[in-house]
Amino acid sequence: MNLDKLLETGDRCIHKEPPTCTAQCPVHLEIIDFLSEIEKGNFQNAYKLMEKKMPFHNIIGRICDHPCEAPCERSKAGGSIRISDLEKAVLEYGAYKPKKVWPLPKNKGKVAIIGGGLSGLTTAIDLDKKGYSVTIFEKTNRLGGRLWDFVGESMTEELLQQEMKAIADKKITIHFDATVDQKRLAELLTEYDAVYLGTAAWEEPIEANPVTFQVGDSTLFVGGQLLNKSDSVILSASSGRRAAISIERYLSKVSLTDSRDREGVFETPLQFDITSKKPLLPIEKTAAIYSREEAIEEAQRCVKCQCRKCIEGCVHLRKFEMSPDAYIRQINHSERIILGTHYANKMINSCAECGLCKEECFLDISMNDVIHETRESMVQRGKMPVSAHDFALKDMAFSNSSRFSLVRKQPSKEESKDLFYYPLISFSDYVKGLYKGTGKTEYLFYPGCQLPASYPDDIKSIYEYLVGHVKGDVGIYLGCCGAPADWAGQQGLMNENIEAIKKVWTEMEQPTFILACSSCIRIFEKYLPEIKVESLWDIYVREGLPNKDHIKIPQTLSIHDACGTRENSDLHESVRKIVAKLGYGIEELEYTKEKTKCCGYGGLVYYANREQSNAFVSERIGESENDLLVYCAMCKDLFVSGGKRTYHLLDLIYPKDEGESATRKMPTLSERHQNRSRVKQILLKEIWREEPLEGVMEDNFTLIIPEDVKKNIEDRYILMEDIQAVLKNAEAKNERFCNPDTGEYLAKLRRDNVTFWVKYEKEEESFLIKSVYSHRMEILEEDGNSGGTK
Amino acid sequence: MKHESNDQTKWLCDKCQRELELAKVKVRYMEGNFEVDLMKCPTCNQVFIDEALALGKMKEVEEGLEDK
Ligand SMILES: [Zn+2]
Repeated sequence: MNLDKLLETGDRCIHKEPPTCTAQCPVHLEIIDFLSEIEKGNFQNAYKLMEKKMPFHNIIGRICDHPCEAPCERSKAGGSIRISDLEKAVLEYGAYKPKKVWPLPKNKGKVAIIGGGLSGLTTAIDLDKKGYSVTIFEKTNRLGGRLWDFVGESMTEELLQQEMKAIADKKITIHFDATVDQKRLAELLTEYDAVYLGTAAWEEPIEANPVTFQVGDSTLFVGGQLLNKSDSVILSASSGRRAAISIERYLSKVSLTDSRDREGVFETPLQFDITSKKPLLPIEKTAAIYSREEAIEEAQRCVKCQCRKCIEGCVHLRKFEMSPDAYIRQINHSERIILGTHYANKMINSCAECGLCKEECFLDISMNDVIHETRESMVQRGKMPVSAHDFALKDMAFSNSSRFSLVRKQPSKEESKDLFYYPLISFSDYVKGLYKGTGKTEYLFYPGCQLPASYPDDIKSIYEYLVGHVKGDVGIYLGCCGAPADWAGQQGLMNENIEAIKKVWTEMEQPTFILACSSCIRIFEKYLPEIKVESLWDIYVREGLPNKDHIKIPQTLSIHDACGTRENSDLHESVRKIVAKLGYGIEELEYTKEKTKCCGYGGLVYYANREQSNAFVSERIGESENDLLVYCAMCKDLFVSGGKRTYHLLDLIYPKDEGESATRKMPTLSERHQNRSRVKQILLKEIWREEPLEGVMEDNFTLIIPEDVKKNIEDRYILMEDIQAVLKNAEAKNERFCNPDTGEYLAKLRRDNVTFWVKYEKEEESFLIKSVYSHRMEILEEDGNSGGTK
Repeated sequence: MKHESNDQTKWLCDKCQRELELAKVKVRYMEGNFEVDLMKCPTCNQVFIDEALALGKMKEVEEGLEDK
């Protein structure tokens, strides 16, 4: 993993960037914090923030020309925050006596300041504080320069006098009535280590470095109005402060230019979308200065500009309280650890990899891609926790085993000729389709693994529909596209899977794949761009729906788009056309189509962090009062398990008589296996009229499993076949423990990398299961075996 | 990872019909190899692990090792 590139991506995230008010403030008052303190009624804390950043805060706070206000984002929703008025209120309610500061010995160098105005005084005070011996040359008989022009209601003469006296009281030498001209300046430059020129005007034009304010490579530095060509007081003070920094760097012989790109006014990269905020008008003052209450109310209008778009949309980022920049720093740290705990693993495996973050980001930063790459890197380095994705990968292996996997061409005309009789040949589209068979497979129906697991009874109907409606022969291909391997970061396994699919495609002379699962669609787009695909839903729109009169009760549904189809707007339209054609109303969710959310299955978060998965489910199902309509089997199963009435598109297209389909429970993990096997058996028997090669489940024990135990079995990712295997071994070899008091047995068996334990009681011919659990740790029993049967 | 609960004292090895005894047992996960005191049959050596241990301390250790 390229960590430099990763960190660059993190640096692009604007979450941490300052708001435009602070960036436009020449001294960078932390305005959001400042307003937050006021909001809480902590005027003294707000005052401290002014003291920290603002030179002569008692003066400037009263006369500032507030360049922060005009660009305030609030201006687009009611009016800018009255920051300047709030500063005045804070000076009124939050001021406290300054702490006595013990002056440093003045041994760092001698600096002359020409001009006792605001910028010169700022430079003088800053350098004095740092231990420089400062001398001010002022042409009039008082300090302050044009500050005296501001005396009025906000800033009294008394206050200004007081502030100027405080300067005179310091160990700063001040020469009044001291006019400095070109000739005198030349002398000062030789007498002093550095000179600051802060007069409003000068005899001839002066060119200074725009960053360091240094004139050429001399010891002369410029600031104030002469440099700024503006009468802004806050800009004057800022330039005096920046000149002081340059002088100190110059005299300390360090770089004058290093990391100074954000001094003074700068453009923040932050972008903020205020459109969702309700407009609020500014609070009007009822007196010259805001009352405390008015100030608090005005401060409350601040929206605290910070880009949180991806975080607001993503329950994963919110759960871990992570912005992309912080997330990336954690990944970077985790990737660099050689010895020690990878604390970020759980987080990295809790992302649904749904891609909403990129969709929401102003800068298209994709945490999905970052996290995916991280998982691949973890797998490569052997640092991926096995338990996170083990079950899902075994499930994938099951789907690609002979227990589910199947490839068949459409039954040939020759094989089907016994069907070509009246009335079948006239009324069955399927038989008509078989009759038109050419032997060349134009299409291959690839239903994926989860749809057959959830909708075993519909796969044959869909296949027959396809044979009857699309032009050309339709074959079938059962298997798993590899989505679990992709999500788990298992590149090797993924590539193997892709090659296997490609091989079938080539052998079948490159047919178009008909896909029904949104994860398959995503995987084919990502890994198999050479294969032409069509979605089943697009075909229904093009060829017409299979059944008429399906609607039971007309109602309004909210469509939850599958996150794997985010980019596929044609598919979104097809689904909506089908829903409308079936007679249902549609009410769109706020996060819909390209901005849809994940149901909680994506990225295998369902297996890696069930709590996180549940959070995805509950957030999404809370977004609409309507019943939901989905077109991905896992979305349906998760939403129903979360208690939400949810229809899968197939529930509406192929309505069943028995039960309420919107509340039909998700099949258990074991049932999903059985359902897939059953689909294969049904297809072989009823379409290809072949005798099944193997029985689905043979010579099993009869189990009685109480509901609470059943739930544990599911939550612990344990299959019925695991339980059966434990019992078979225990019964055959007596490898078990017994409890004479209760008559219970406890048996174990290691299967692959997991040891399964079953506590049971025998009841005549059946087994009452008391509890089932597992662990991955291997117990090395003394005879050298590990309790397994291999 | 020492473990001894009240419950397991009642259990016998069904194969050997012997009471279980606390003994040092070698366990392994990923690159971690260590010895812990667990209940086992003194004859056939099969080790007893109850639900609380498997889902508690054992899982914790497994997770800790996985994140190393
Ligand atoms: Zn024994």
